[in-house]
Amino acid sequence: MKFRIYRYDPESGRQPYIQDFELQEVTPGMMLRDALLKLKEQDETLTFRHSCGEGVCGSDAMNINGTNGLACITPLKSLKQPVEIRPVPGMPVIRDLVIDMSQFYHHYRAVKPYLIVHDPEPEVEYLQTPQQREKLDGLYECILCGCCSTSCPSFWWNPDKFRGPAALLQAYRFLADSRDQAMGQRLEELEGPYRLFRCHTIMNCVDVCPKGLNPTRAINNIKKLMVKDMV
Amino acid sequence: MTFRAQGMRAWLLQRLSAIYLGIYILVLGTAWLLNPDLSWQDWRGFNGHPFVAVSTALFFASLMVHAWVGVRDVLVDYVPHSAVRLVLLIGIATLLVAMAIWSSFILLSVVRI
Repeated sequence: MKFRIYRYDPESGRQPYIQDFELQEVTPGMMLRDALLKLKEQDETLTFRHSCGEGVCGSDAMNINGTNGLACITPLKSLKQPVEIRPVPGMPVIRDLVIDMSQFYHHYRAVKPYLIVHDPEPEVEYLQTPQQREKLDGLYECILCGCCSTSCPSFWWNPDKFRGPAALLQAYRFLADSRDQAMGQRLEELEGPYRLFRCHTIMNCVDVCPKGLNPTRAINNIKKLMVKDMV
Repeated sequence: MTFRAQGMRAWLLQRLSAIYLGIYILVLGTAWLLNPDLSWQDWRGFNGHPFVAVSTALFFASLMVHAWVGVRDVLVDYVPHSAVRLVLLIGIATLLVAMAIWSSFILLSVVRI
């Protein structure tokens, strides 16, 4: 099986280039991550992030044949040859397929992804009805792999100002939480033409999310909350 | 949250103006289809009715607002250089205001008060 992989080592002083690889031993059910590990045996300088190998940690997000995805849950047989692998677009490359996620995490931190409660702490756990808990489904499952934000043109054009789909999904995860008491503050912080409203419902985020989540819907729900808050 | 906030206001204005534009085009289109043999006199008479003229004025106002938000969005995305963006925004604002004034002159010339 043929691969074309983006290579870049800033220490070498060389411009980024595409290296051809060929993998002989393709086994049934093999995932792209397994193939990359085999290719790393051929060329040990090939660098990429990976950890759990089952789509839970979100480390091995990369651009596979033009679409962002997780290498560990992408079956080789689903890919057209030669398989072209690049780092996810729009982020600074540290080396080969490893990107600098600082900006992504900055936006994540900025939406305050934790419960804010002003009341005194209760003696027992914070209780929720099953209906209240259900509202968090499709939001809490995010693994922060960055596939969505790095496939979003609005994030490419304004990476410093637009929060991006991943952070906004998390923003809504806490807006939708019955236990949170900072809705006004959260909505206020998302105001302005950039942080939230750069989203033009392009929906690349929905298309690529390896967990099947829908950031566009979450963003629309935030807009609805803002309208409700306003009138 | 106050109404002065720009992101929300622009987004809401774009949606509301889109709804009005859609309704106006649908109603006017249906009126045209139902009356294919309109003469110029009928057409002028129809547009001279104060209700129609006000609806048309609102249509142009919505169109300008809708176009302004849409074009501003495109410029914010694709023109990162702030000086260039400002010049383009001023140019487009001037164009839209000119079109609004022009269309109101046309409407005032046909309306029967």
